[in-house]
Amino acid sequence: MAEALLQAEGLVKHYPAGRSGLGRGRAVVRAVDGVSFEILPGETFGIVGESGCGKSTLGRLLLRFEPPTAGRVLYEGRDVCGFDARRLKAFRREAQIIYQDPYSSLNPRRRVGELIAEPLEIHGIGGPGERRERVAALLGEVGLRPEHARRFPHEFSGGQRQRIVIARALALQPRFIVADEPVSALDVSIQAQVINLLRELQERFRLTYAFISHDLGLVEYLADRVGVMYLGRLVEVAPCAAICADPLHPYTEALWSAAPMPDPAARRRRILLAGDVPSPIRPPPGCAFHPRCREAFDRCREEAPPLREVTPGRRVACHNR
Amino acid sequence: MGAAAVLSISGLRTEFRTRRGPVAAVDGLDLELPAGETFGLVGESGCGKSVTALSILRLLPRPAGRVAAGSIRFEGEDLLALPEAAMRRIRGNRISMIFQEPMTSLNPVLPVGFQIEEVLRKHRGLSAREARAEVGGLLARVGMPDPQSRLDDYPHQLSGGMRQRAMIAIALACRPALMIADEPTTALDVTIQAQILELISRLQAEFGMSVLLITHDLGVVAETCREAAVMYAGRIVERAAVARLYARPAHPYTVGLFRSLPRAVGRGGKLTPIPGTVPHPAELPPGCAFQERCFQRHAACREDPPWAEVATGHFARCWKPLG
Repeated sequence: MAEALLQAEGLVKHYPAGRSGLGRGRAVVRAVDGVSFEILPGETFGIVGESGCGKSTLGRLLLRFEPPTAGRVLYEGRDVCGFDARRLKAFRREAQIIYQDPYSSLNPRRRVGELIAEPLEIHGIGGPGERRERVAALLGEVGLRPEHARRFPHEFSGGQRQRIVIARALALQPRFIVADEPVSALDVSIQAQVINLLRELQERFRLTYAFISHDLGLVEYLADRVGVMYLGRLVEVAPCAAICADPLHPYTEALWSAAPMPDPAARRRRILLAGDVPSPIRPPPGCAFHPRCREAFDRCREEAPPLREVTPGRRVACHNR
Repeated sequence: MGAAAVLSISGLRTEFRTRRGPVAAVDGLDLELPAGETFGLVGESGCGKSVTALSILRLLPRPAGRVAAGSIRFEGEDLLALPEAAMRRIRGNRISMIFQEPMTSLNPVLPVGFQIEEVLRKHRGLSAREARAEVGGLLARVGMPDPQSRLDDYPHQLSGGMRQRAMIAIALACRPALMIADEPTTALDVTIQAQILELISRLQAEFGMSVLLITHDLGVVAETCREAAVMYAGRIVERAAVARLYARPAHPYTVGLFRSLPRAVGRGGKLTPIPGTVPHPAELPPGCAFQERCFQRHAACREDPPWAEVATGHFARCWKPLG
């Protein structure tokens, strides 16, 4: 296997959840609760799961936006929390993020040109003239026009705004991008434009993506490998094609069967999960999925299954597999 | 359609006051909803699908919005001509509605059980005790876990899926002839969405009611509806049985939607997005509203396209329908 660009080792992130019931001690939200995987250079690693599963927190940990409670993130084999100032600055150039909502991630009072040039200014790259040229080139890369630099974000549609966000993320010539639900706020026909753009850019600049999404159709289409999260943990990691054809974990199976297929002829067997996702403040003991699992037995209620390799490249956390 | 229609809309035009003068969000909409089945209304944001629902129920935001023309016939009457008092007897009773975000449609300061009782007392004239007795059963029917203990819960104490179940219980309380569901699962996670869609399908069959399912999600339509219509820029551009619509879409816009859908083109397939964006309703071109984004645009598109029957029961508003 190729050398990993990024590795997560036993990542844990707990947040204080205010006072617990009787004021004794503090409850914690177990947003990410022991996650290990690796992202290979040039691949798109899909991170899927339902709301509250910890996928966005995981993305933030990968970028060192906040320190993990335990565990480490290795970038090219080195712990990102151990970076000195110089190395950290380089990491900040090489690793970028694209958020879901292009309305709140662009300052409405600044012109598009300023927004895209800002990372260049912060990192002291080029003079004003060079930056202007670079902004014009970046706008071209994402399918906008140089004269758009003079306009304000509100003059653009949602899809165009997401292009501006992408141009800004590309400004420092990054190698790794966390895309956190990058097209979820957009209509289907516009989504397709942005997805095509992300794929073109990946090819042209050999980008590595961590693609976080709740949209299985999208992940299925884009990702090379996929990690499925449930209540702060990875329940399955596998090549995308394998996971779509033959999901191993009962949660993965239910998740894929629940996603509506735009094909009336495909009458599939839908596995309906009972109940809701439990609270990450008090996750069930043992396997966190056991209260909703059809196959749960005694051991699942007591012992959390580790993520282990079942066939080369496929890992699953289930006592039954 | 041959089958009886539960509701028929003709020539509906709904306008909103804007700084640029009145703008039509829906214009020239004709739609017959088949009785006793689930009908899908699909479209992207701003196409007028929710405005259509609000026009049916006469719940348009006032004074900005108003129905400027058309008729909506339901159970022998034109809803648009009814006095408000008569409309109030239909709304929530013969026609009910569930919305995307149940948290904003439920009253946050009243227990859920009370809110359902209220519907039973107001519309069905039950006494407080009779209503109370029926609520538990109603919640059980919509699959609320442990219904009796949920009666005194406030909306914020319920999960998103449970809130939507409570909304559905309210919508069903009076055995409506028609339930309008506007993006009922869009705010929910996919496993919860599956539960709610299954519930709507089951209740539709049990009560024999008609359901108008409004959604942006072609997957949801494929799995729940028998027939569907596609909306673009305030009009219906295509209508067909779902099996036919997905196999042989006829309107270039519908074709474009499918080509934009990762799950429809499949892994390794190529997404072909629809170029450009939806025009502002005040700047629609004359003739076909889709012409500027269409891959087979030609001179005739400057004229209003006909509602052409491509095959039996399959219609498209296009000069050169495919299919």
